Amino acid sequence: MLVIKIWNYFKGYVIIRIKGLSLERLLNLALVEDIYLWNVKRLSNMEIEASVSIIGYNNLEELVNKTGCKIEIKERMGFPFLLERLKKRKMLGFGVLFFIIFTIFLSSMIWEVEIIGTEQISENEIIGILKNNDVKIGKFKKHIDKNQIQRAIFDKYDNISFLDIRTTGVKLILEIKEQDITLEKIDRTQPCNIVAGKKGVILKTVAKNGKALVEKGKIVEEGDILISGVMDSENSDESYLVHAEGEVLAQVRYSKTIEMPIIKHEKKETGKVYKQKGLKVKEKGIKFFAGDIPFENYIEEIDEKDIIKLRWPKINIPLKMITHIYREVELKEIKQDIDFLKKSAQLKAIEEINKELPNDSEIISKDAIYSVEDNILKAKITMEVIEDIGKIQTISD
Amino acid sequence: MKKNMDRAKKTLTDVLELPLDVALDLPKITIIGDMRVEIINHKGIIQYTNELIRINTNIGVVKITGNSMEIKNILIEEISIDGSIESVEIIS
Repeated sequence: MLVIKIWNYFKGYVIIRIKGLSLERLLNLALVEDIYLWNVKRLSNMEIEASVSIIGYNNLEELVNKTGCKIEIKERMGFPFLLERLKKRKMLGFGVLFFIIFTIFLSSMIWEVEIIGTEQISENEIIGILKNNDVKIGKFKKHIDKNQIQRAIFDKYDNISFLDIRTTGVKLILEIKEQDITLEKIDRTQPCNIVAGKKGVILKTVAKNGKALVEKGKIVEEGDILISGVMDSENSDESYLVHAEGEVLAQVRYSKTIEMPIIKHEKKETGKVYKQKGLKVKEKGIKFFAGDIPFENYIEEIDEKDIIKLRWPKINIPLKMITHIYREVELKEIKQDIDFLKKSAQLKAIEEINKELPNDSEIISKDAIYSVEDNILKAKITMEVIEDIGKIQTISD
Repeated sequence: MKKNMDRAKKTLTDVLELPLDVALDLPKITIIGDMRVEIINHKGIIQYTNELIRINTNIGVVKITGNSMEIKNILIEEISIDGSIESVEIIS
């Protein structure tokens, strides 16, 4: 029975050998005296081996004397004897104790700070805040005031919507959720003008605040004031400044010129290949067979291979085998279809213009002019677009 | 006279459906396969060797023969013997 075995182990027991003639009588006497014996083995006619508890052993000794047998201890088993042995080795016990205390000590500190979820805020800044609040690696976990850190971080940043501070093991984890859109703060007290950001023809001016200076059909240059923040007072000659606001829609022209060669040089491989092998140590290369390349026109390819590849440990040995491959090519002139070229030039130009266009613009017309000059096709694409050209310019005096 | 008493006791336990070993103070011998013999309510060991064990009980001597037998447990009431058992014989 396991329970009894464990109990015996903790109480401690001895394996004894009893020598004598009337061993059965001894066993019966032990029964009467209520000495628990187990694992009784017959070794020979004169000798048996048995296990007995420490208290049982003391009682048994008296009986042994009565029956005229001899008893000897073969082995001491169990926890009390182990403890006794350990007592002689005090430093070992001390070491075990020290180890346990040291482990507990180390695991009650912060060893790593992990910041999850930051996008706009840099992690270093948050670590800086933590440092200001006396939270750093080596700090005891229970001395960390999470509320204080939370307050400090919320005070510094407006765009944090969620912050969770927790410790997992020896890690301090800060989980931060930033607000996706930071509300743009418009300082409406600052007086400003709305000026033209681009050259264009005005189609519509809506002034929410300030005085509109341009009307429909007027051509404006870049930098012209469209809505003025300078207001005249009705009662006196003096003027005052306001924060101009409004929408100015204008027709803006974009143009782009794309040049494309009609005759194209094409390289075609002939199939002839010339190879040169070399060795590379760090950045210096050695060619084994330096020789002239037997082709007039060629494409060079460099193929690098590690000579020694170690999977473990991962050490990069800076020794590489290099193969230079030269492929002979033939140059050919190909005349391209002009119609096709025109189309591709137009597409390319539109693509480029589209990159410049603001999001809320509306294309009203598209025009293309082509001309051929010295085997080069020139395509001029013009697009007319309606967009808001207003730009805020602060008034400073 | 004693036999009559025993018979009366037996009849009574049969009628009352009491366990025999408790009522009549008989040994309970359990044989598990050929590996273990347990005797509850024994009266001591008479002989003990690896091949032969004789145990005294109320009903006589229980003789157990086998090979490499050892006493796993021995208590005032109970004894259990491990080994390869060949025969268990009651000699009254």
